[in-house]
Amino acid sequence: MSSQASRLKVIKLGELLQRSIWDVDEERHIEVLKQEGLRVKALILLCPMGCYSLAGDKLIMSYEGCVECGTCRVLSGSDQIRWEYPKSGRGIQYRYM
Amino acid sequence: MNVTSKFDIIVVGAGPAGCASAYLLAKAGFKVLVLERGRGAGSKELWGGKAYAQPLREVWPELDKEAPIHRWVSKERFSLVWGERALTIEYKLGRKVAFTTYLTELVNWMARKAENAGAIIVDEVRVDEIVVKEGRVLGVKSGGDTVYADAVIDAEGVNRLLLEKLGLVEKLNPDHIALGVKEVLSLNPNLIEERFMLGKDEGLAWFVTGDVTLGLPGGGFIYTMRDSISIGLVLPIGPAAKAAEAGLLKEHVSSLVEAFRLHPYFRNLWREADVIEYGGRMTIEAGLKLMPRKLYMNGLLVVGDAAGFLVNTGYTIRGVDTAVTSGKLAAEALIEAFNNGGPTEENLKSYEEKVKKSYIYRELKNHSSIGDVMSDPFFFQKLPQVAIRAASKLFEADYEEPKLIRSFLDAAREEDVSSLKIIYKLGRVVGKL
Repeated sequence: MSSQASRLKVIKLGELLQRSIWDVDEERHIEVLKQEGLRVKALILLCPMGCYSLAGDKLIMSYEGCVECGTCRVLSGSDQIRWEYPKSGRGIQYRYM
Repeated sequence: MNVTSKFDIIVVGAGPAGCASAYLLAKAGFKVLVLERGRGAGSKELWGGKAYAQPLREVWPELDKEAPIHRWVSKERFSLVWGERALTIEYKLGRKVAFTTYLTELVNWMARKAENAGAIIVDEVRVDEIVVKEGRVLGVKSGGDTVYADAVIDAEGVNRLLLEKLGLVEKLNPDHIALGVKEVLSLNPNLIEERFMLGKDEGLAWFVTGDVTLGLPGGGFIYTMRDSISIGLVLPIGPAAKAAEAGLLKEHVSSLVEAFRLHPYFRNLWREADVIEYGGRMTIEAGLKLMPRKLYMNGLLVVGDAAGFLVNTGYTIRGVDTAVTSGKLAAEALIEAFNNGGPTEENLKSYEEKVKKSYIYRELKNHSSIGDVMSDPFFFQKLPQVAIRAASKLFEADYEEPKLIRSFLDAAREEDVSSLKIIYKLGRVVGKL
């Protein structure tokens, strides 16, 4: 290939997340309160940052990569997921969006 | 929060709507406080990529000279893609109507304009509650602090935590809302201009439908920025969630965006590009259905996305200009109210009247039936497949090429759809678009 090498390649989500910048709050702003009745498959596939995953049967929410879009909030009830914005400027810091 | 004095107006959210209000009110001499949860205005913003200039010029006539405009949209493209095949229509514009930029930058500029006009913008403040007493809005609460004002403008955006708490709106329905997922690809401006056949400062907006969404309702977008390209997908959340549960959607949504970036029809446009940022946000699908029962109450006005003011026509999406216009109308209504004794419920009614007389409401009403199209899988599965198959018969004939109508009829039959159904559906969609 020439010096202008093609950069077309598959990027793992974990690596893709490295391209964005967060100032992660030490306190979690989103929490699964009750898994029963949650739309688990939809949460896992649609959370754009892949914050939801299963550990065995248990749904895990890793708030560190959250971009505060609200998709999981729309897909659940307030008794199932506690949803707040991160406090005081924390969270995603978009630059080129 | 070290804000102790009382303000005339508190604006919640330094987005396009909030900044427009704050700018005009500060310019008119009011004491305005803008509270923004992000670090610096714009840091929580994400959009597709283009804004219509004229509504923005009504607030900031200096827009063209001063605003961080990347490229003026000179070409609009629309593509149907299925498998390796694609069918594209391009329109070359004759004048400067819309421009591309990073919303993070544009909003930052709007916030600086408001600040220079005298508004006080305090960032890194998350408003937790709008304070109401005996039916009258008194101010806002953040953590343990309360700040008081004669009026509050709610510009909190699409995710309406505050309005829900107030009971002014219901929780969002997944069918009325879409998820936008986006990658920003850095690319040398010369390459952008060569590849998309653009002049310097000229830009392109591209809407894509077909199997980039795996046939799910929604579509893909491409916008050329100054030295990057924004690409992404918009998926209505209701149908996407159902597809995930039914096993029709098996991959993570980021893989769909990646497949779009690596798609053979598109990938060579940005083959040297690196992904410099990735993110997502929710956007409005059915604006009218999101509109609060009332756009005002005693001491409160609702503007921008929070009020459902985003127009989706099926081939263009307008959210930033409508937000700015609603911010302007709110500022005008408030100035009148203050001149007439204060921002009482009665005096703020004029805001809703102004909105209903404006292009925002007319556009929302005029395009409201697009929801029927957006929720009909036919337009995202069978229709693109038939169109692509018909085109392949015309353009991929080794010897004999059918007439146009025959290629369509054969394609419909082979895709197992009745031609009449297609004509009926197209007839309906033409009326709605």
